[in-house]
Order: sequence, then structure tokens, then C-alpha cells
Amino acid sequence: MRLRGRLVPALVAVAGLLAAAACGGTGGDDTTAASTSGAVADKPVTITFLSYNYGTPGLGGKGTQALLDAFNKEHPNITVKPQGVKVADVLTRLKTDTVAGSPPDVAQVGWSKVAEAVRTLPVVPVQKAAPADEWSQHIAGISPTIMKAVTLDGVVSAMPYTLSIPEIVINVDLFKAAGLDPANPPKTLDEVKAAGLAIKKATGKEGAYISIVDSGKSDYLTQSVVASGGGSLVGSGGSVTLDQKPAADALAAVAGLTSSGAMPKVDATTALGAFNKGELGMIISSTAVLSSVQAAAAGKFEIATASFPQIITGKPARPTFSGAGLAILAKDPDRQRAAWEFIKFLTSDAGFEIIAAQMGYLPLRETVATKLADDPTVKLLKPALTQLPNVTPYTFFPGENANKAVVTLQDEAIEPIVLRGADPAGTLSSVAGEIRKLVG
Amino acid sequence: MTSTEAGAQPALPGGRASRPAPRGHLPADPASAAPPAAPTPARASAARRAGAWRAAATPWLFQTPVLASLAVWVYGPLVFTGVLSLLDWDLLSPHPRFVGIENYRTLVEEPEFGNAVLRTGYYVLTLLPFATVVPMALAIMLWKRPGRASSLYRSLLFLPVMLAPVGYALSWRFVLDPLGGVVNETFGAVGLPQRDWLGDPTWALPAITVITAAKFVAMHMLLYGAALSGVDRRSLDAARVDGATEWEITRHLVVPQLGRTTALLAFLCAVFAGQWTFTNIVVLTEGGPDYTTDNVYYRLYEYAFTYFDVGTGAAAAMTIIAGLALVFVVANLPRRRRATG
Repeated sequence: MRLRGRLVPALVAVAGLLAAAACGGTGGDDTTAASTSGAVADKPVTITFLSYNYGTPGLGGKGTQALLDAFNKEHPNITVKPQGVKVADVLTRLKTDTVAGSPPDVAQVGWSKVAEAVRTLPVVPVQKAAPADEWSQHIAGISPTIMKAVTLDGVVSAMPYTLSIPEIVINVDLFKAAGLDPANPPKTLDEVKAAGLAIKKATGKEGAYISIVDSGKSDYLTQSVVASGGGSLVGSGGSVTLDQKPAADALAAVAGLTSSGAMPKVDATTALGAFNKGELGMIISSTAVLSSVQAAAAGKFEIATASFPQIITGKPARPTFSGAGLAILAKDPDRQRAAWEFIKFLTSDAGFEIIAAQMGYLPLRETVATKLADDPTVKLLKPALTQLPNVTPYTFFPGENANKAVVTLQDEAIEPIVLRGADPAGTLSSVAGEIRKLVG
Repeated sequence: MTSTEAGAQPALPGGRASRPAPRGHLPADPASAAPPAAPTPARASAARRAGAWRAAATPWLFQTPVLASLAVWVYGPLVFTGVLSLLDWDLLSPHPRFVGIENYRTLVEEPEFGNAVLRTGYYVLTLLPFATVVPMALAIMLWKRPGRASSLYRSLLFLPVMLAPVGYALSWRFVLDPLGGVVNETFGAVGLPQRDWLGDPTWALPAITVITAAKFVAMHMLLYGAALSGVDRRSLDAARVDGATEWEITRHLVVPQLGRTTALLAFLCAVFAGQWTFTNIVVLTEGGPDYTTDNVYYRLYEYAFTYFDVGTGAAAAMTIIAGLALVFVVANLPRRRRATG
């Protein structure tokens, strides 16, 4: 009796508390409803912008701030509140913010993650958020190859923003010290290997590096290498084709760089650090590294650039692009409109001038490339710009596990093959089986 | 309960009714302060029931703030995680699918989680000496030689705990950089082979262990220092007078008095080894190369927040909780035996 007398109120109290705890998790949905009732068209609008460049100490961060300042000057009625995020965490942040009911209105999404973002998040395709006439007028000056390449399921969901194509960045001083001619840079991977070995022998420094083991878990260089070898990761019908012979041959060629000793067995971040210290002769990487390389090399060594090389001698180089697109997640029409104005500015002539000259990404408008032809950074971008018309579209794995498939490919195939001498054909075959299970 | 039975019981359970009220305190029930009247049996019974309820509820009301905190921050999320572990959900879709124990089956069938469990066990075992023997030795040495130099050493050794975890991990990236890092430069200078310490499957796991060990040594040295403050230094002097050597004093006089602290710190090592390696794994290796530095916390994070497989992440969390509960039970068995034996 006494026990029951104590137990009943105790159970009532605990049940009440658990109910209160359970109710605590469901309040987030209301925030969205409240936020959508926000601004009216003719009133000031505030939008949020999630960017992995914003707030970073390098030139990417400074360039993003310059873009925000320039936009603020031109559109005083639209306030953009920037939010920083680590590049590898963009999808995580977008999903958790969406669950919490407060996704950013505009997000900078790395291109390898765009497909999953579009398939799983409430992304409003930028082409549909823009008025039709403004859209066609705006994209008129942008590289048609890029606009075609970024069209996904017949519509442009994310606006090409900070895009780049891989190219060879050369330490001219080490090149000359090895008796090589920087005016005649390597055009094939075999020549890269030979030049790397020559640099190593003559200077004692590291020779060459291809940043295929990407620290951000992007497969842009994997795709560039495989496409240049005549293969693909995903076939036209969405089937996984990365275990076919051309892909294995292309990766075997890259692995040959490390096995020969021309390329150090390290990850891309370490290699970039070595290049910036003048300890590496060549690095094949996204042009996004140019801003940091220029800053590090200033006064210490001279740098030059060359086009992405042929991976298999005789087969044309077919690099794909990397970087980021801008996606709209705003629900409210006024904020969608403001988001489009913001994106329109970032990808206008004024925006691309800052993106190219200050951040090292490609000026996707020819007018900007011509106007800034003498800018030191844009000069270094020239080899990539010449390859722009031949760029291969970035391909996505099908389904909602596209990002997991990319991480699996990079971690379980590319890294062991390139850095640790794993058998290309066998490794690709087993990883392809794993990825097929993931993407269906 | 009949009124007759109730009437046979004391007015308050636990004999409280028979206890006199403290001096200067009014009786808790105002009705009892009124001049005695002759209540009807029904009213008396109702009053007794109300009193019984009040008496039963009072301690729970006092505990309500703690219970509320536990329910909101511990048991609520635990129940919620348990429910999530039975669902197939990506955090976003409006209709999570009930899949029963499918997520637990995935954990068992996928080699990654089993590998992560083994690696976590490796971390616990290899960190154990750094959580017990090493900090104990350092703490005893510093305790035996009190003074300014001792305080300075203690402060320096405590540094890894004071530093921001991510900053601390990042500093190791520069130290272990395969191309120009301090360790490789030193190795090169004395003719030892240079390695990619964090990128080589053979060396990455020991590297993460050593980096985490410094934190265990620092923290546990402080805790051993606190335990040593309870040791009477006069007993050491007495032993010295009797001709005992410093080693004998340490071995037979000091160390036995640190036995319970050592057991506690070994248990804490088992609990925190996985959590303290997590930051170093995230910053330095991301579980690689070839999953060699993985642990269960990093795998859980990957399931839930990289791949958004919330159900499998929650199943991993529940498995970890069950594992830690098992460790707790095993750690407490000797104590229970002593208490009952």
C-alpha cells in the first residue's frame, strides 16, 4: 500500500516530464511558418547566405567579403547575413538547418554535393526563382559550355559561381634548376613524370603531384583523370561504370607517378603546403589554389601555369570542373526574389571580376576575362580558360546516396590505388560493387 | 482499502505522524492545528488519504528539478534515440519508416562498425598505461619534490588539457607533416626513415594514440595529485628513518594508497578513450587511411551527420551505451563482491 502510494505520484511525475521532453523536439516547424510571413517586396529584406569561403583567413574569405560589400552598396534594401561553414560540412549544415526550420536563403554548395542537395533538400531551382526574361538576359554572357554542363534534369538548379578547372601550377625556379623549360611545360602525364623525376634528381625536392586524393572528398580530379582516359564513373543511363578498363588504365597511369617516385605519397593538403614552401616542382590542382600559391610564392619563387595534361598519351585531356554553385532555399517569395537579386549580382560582370582577380576562380563571362586579361591572377587562369570549351560535365551518382558514393570512391579506391599501390582493376571492381549497392 | 483498515494505520506513512513537530514549527497541516473536533469517519478517512498523498508526493516534488533535468537532457533523448534506432530516416523526410532491428543488423553485417569497435578497444588498451602508470609516476615525482620547479612542471604538463582540442590536434598536423614536419626533419637528420605518420596505415593508429595519450597524462596527473594530497607525508619520513629506500617507500607506501584512484581512472579511460580520440580523428585522419584510425564515435558521426542515415547512427549510439553500461557493471563487480562478501 505504502509503495503504491509513493509510486503512483512518482510515475505521474516522470510520465509528465518525459512528455514535456518529447514535446520539446517538435517546436522547430513553427519557425518556418513565422519566417515566411516576413518581408514585403518594397520593404527592406534580410536574407542569409551560407558560404564555405566566408570568414576563412585566405583570399577566398576576403573575396567573399568584397562581394558582400559590393552587393550591399548596390542593393541597400537587401541585407545579406553571411554564415561560415567548413567545406566538407555544407550538406550536414544544410540538412540540420532545414530540420530546425531555418535553412539559409542562399547556399554555396560544392559541385560534388549539388545533386544530393537538390534531391534531398527543398532547393528552389535558381532558373525557376528568376523571372524568365531576366534569366535569359543574365545567362547570355556566361560560357554556354558551363551552362549546359550544370543543367541537371533539364533545369539549372544551382547557379555556377566559384568554378575552376584543374591545371598544372609550376615552380619556375625548380623547373629551371632541373634544366627544364617552363615555356614548354608537360603536356602529358608521362612528361609530368619525367619532369618530376628530373626535378627530384637535380634539386632534392619533390617532383610533381596530382591532387586526386582530395581533402574535401571531392572527385573532380578523379572524374577529370577517368574522362581523359576515355572512361566515366557513371554511364548515360545512370549505371556505375567506374570499374571499366579505361578508368582502371587512367588510374594506373596516376599510380605510376607515385610508384616511380616522381610524386610523394601524401594527401593534397600536405602537397599544397609543400608547394607553397617551394619544396614541390609541380602541382596539378584546381585553380582555386592560385590565390594562396601566389601569396606564398611572392618574393620567394616564380610560378607559371599550364593546361591539364593528357592522362594517356594520345587521348585528349578532358578535365571537368570543380568549385561551387549557388542554391536557393528561401521559401518566402520576397526572400526568393532577394536571393535571385543576390545571385544575379554575384554572377554578373562586377561579381566575376572579384571572383577571378581576388579568389582565383574562373571568370565565366568572356567580357570579364577580356577586361582583366592583364591581371596577374587571370593570366595564370589562361590555360584553364582555353580548355573551358572542352570541359566535361561533372557527373553525379544517381539516388540519394550520391555523396556517400563519392566518399566511398575516394576513400576506398582512389587513395589506396594512388598512394598505396593497390591494384587498380581489382580495387575499382570491389568498390564499384559497393557503390552499386548504395545507389541502387 | 477500507476505512477500518485505514483507521488502523498511522496518519502518515513511515511513522512520521508519531514524530513530534520541531520546536517553533507549526504543524504542517492547518487542520491539525485547529481545536480537536469530532470528525465523521468519512471525512477523517479522506483527510488521512490526502495527508498520505501529500506525504508521498513531497519528496518527489523536491526532486522534481533534478528529475526534470534528467528527463529533458538524459532519459528523454535516450528514449528518443532508442526510437530513432528502429526507423529508416534521413532527418528530412516527413514519414520515417519503421524497420525494427534492421539498423542493428546493418551494424553487425557492415564490416566498418565491427572494425570501429575493435579499433576503440585498441585505443582503450593502449591508452590505459597513459591513463594510470605514467601520470601516477609523474604525480608521485612532483609530489615528492614540492616547490616552484614542481609547480612549473605541473603547469607545463597540464597544457594539453588547457588547449582548445581542435587547435591542439591541428598543431600535430604541422609536427607530423610528412614533407618538412619537425618529426621527419629530426628523423632525417639522424638517419632514421621518414614517414607519412598520419597517412600510413601502419603508423596512423599509433600516432593518434600518442597524441591522445598526452591529454590523458595531463588530466590524470592532476587527479593523482589530488589523491596524493590525502597521503600523510609523516609516514614517509617514518619509513625513511627506518631505512626504507625511495623506491620501497613509493612501491609499498604510496602506490597502495592510490589503488582506488587508479581503478577509477582506468574506468574513466575506458569511457573517454573513444571520445577523446574523436577530435584528433576528425581533424587529422577522418578515420583513414583504410579505416585504421576509426572508432565507434567517429563511425556514429559518419552515419548520422555525413550520410544522414539517422537510424543506423542511433543504433550505433544505443550499442555504445550498452557497451559502456557493460564496462560500468564489470568495473563495479569487485566492489559489490567486497560489500556482500
